[in-house]
Amino acid sequence: MSISPIDLFLGNFVLIAIIGTIAISLYGIVAKPNLIKKIIALTIFTDTANVLAIIIGFRKPPSAPPVFIGNLARPPSLEELRSFATIAVDPLPQALVLTAIVIGMAVNLLIIFITLQVYRLYGTVDMRRVRELRG
Amino acid sequence: MADLTMVLLAIFAGISLFFAYLAISERNLVRALIYSAVQSSAFAFVFYLLRAPDIVLVYVPISVGIYPAAILFLIRKTKEVEEP
Amino acid sequence: MKRILVAVAIVIIAVIASLAATAGGALGPLFDGVRSLAEFYLFNVFNAHNATLTAMSPEAVTSIVWDYRGLDTLFETVVFYMAIIGCVALYRGIELVRDGPEVGLSRIVKTVTKILIVVNIAIAASIALHGHLTPGGGFQAGAAMAVAPIIIIVVFSRFFLMKRGVTKEVALSLRSMGLLGIALVALIPLVAWAATGTVAYVMQNQVKIDSSFSFPAYIGNALVSGSLIWYNIFEFLAVTFGFTIVFLLLSVDEKTVKNALRGEEHEH
Repeated sequence: MSISPIDLFLGNFVLIAIIGTIAISLYGIVAKPNLIKKIIALTIFTDTANVLAIIIGFRKPPSAPPVFIGNLARPPSLEELRSFATIAVDPLPQALVLTAIVIGMAVNLLIIFITLQVYRLYGTVDMRRVRELRG
Repeated sequence: MADLTMVLLAIFAGISLFFAYLAISERNLVRALIYSAVQSSAFAFVFYLLRAPDIVLVYVPISVGIYPAAILFLIRKTKEVEEP
Repeated sequence: MKRILVAVAIVIIAVIASLAATAGGALGPLFDGVRSLAEFYLFNVFNAHNATLTAMSPEAVTSIVWDYRGLDTLFETVVFYMAIIGCVALYRGIELVRDGPEVGLSRIVKTVTKILIVVNIAIAASIALHGHLTPGGGFQAGAAMAVAPIIIIVVFSRFFLMKRGVTKEVALSLRSMGLLGIALVALIPLVAWAATGTVAYVMQNQVKIDSSFSFPAYIGNALVSGSLIWYNIFEFLAVTFGFTIVFLLLSVDEKTVKNALRGEEHEH
């Protein structure tokens, strides 16, 4: 099946925009000395990685979410299931990204609490001053 | 001509790139957090357009509700403005 | 102003790069079909003809999360639990008093919040109970309902919540009860194995090749999808109260914490 060049260009733009966001957030984690700015950049980075994982499971439009719609009072027939399997997107990356979002959130909450403890013990959240004070 | 899904995907990916740069380069931490929340809303639209409604239901409360609330508590307790 | 110009320049650079990539022959994210593993899942997830491979739920993502890859989810729940325990451990020795001045925001904000909280809890319960039929489930509902304690702590005050009985100990025990429920539903097949002698596996949902144990897929006329609805309900309870503990701890004012920390240092 042929894809029009405008759709190809838009699809490439989406991928390049996401790679650009990953690059910007990586720069933010590494180069900014404030711990709170590092936390904000880390959340942007994990979200962008999750979007990349879901794009891999995408199907060319027309496509549907992986939810079977029909009469639920009786189990469906084999033809309905075959047409569902030819139009829905991949459900496996979505399930894995669900797990990844919850684990990322648990780690980020713990990082926020540890940042609070660093502020209480050192009096500052700037990593350069913490490095001087630690001697 | 062009598919509506792809056009909207490109628009929201561009918005997210724009606000991600603004969030990382801003000095005032509360404003950086607001830019990051706008970028997360753009990502919520991207998840919906990629046919993933379960992910949208998890992503919107966590990334636009819980993360900004916790980081705002943190900013208020540490009372810092980022220095160069 | 200069930063906005730099951001617009970055977007224009991305447009030019994608024009170059399209002219050079890159393919983009538009694939023709999905992998054969995905077709297997989509074909078998609500298939009564393949009784040994099905999960009896029309929602593919929830059935992968709790049935086909249920052990992944079990360990992810354990990771979340450990993070909450770590947060509670960082606050040991600081006791949260129940009595304090209930100063909140203005009257207009309080009235609007009262309406919004009722709507929020109703929607979250609906997402949890319909998780096996429509997009939704345990985590989604827990995250949506966790917004309610945050808004109450900010608009009314922390003492408003604690005086009405939602203290740290109550929230911890309710969270542990939710996790206990998940463990019990996961171990019921083993109990059935001990009781009747048919082989059954941990976290089993429907019949398998060598095991005839199965949770009921239909109760009356309602599609219940076996064990999926029980997992969703208990996970909803656990996630909501996990977030409540975190925000109850984050809202303690710094003077109390400093006194507790300084008291610890003088003891040594």
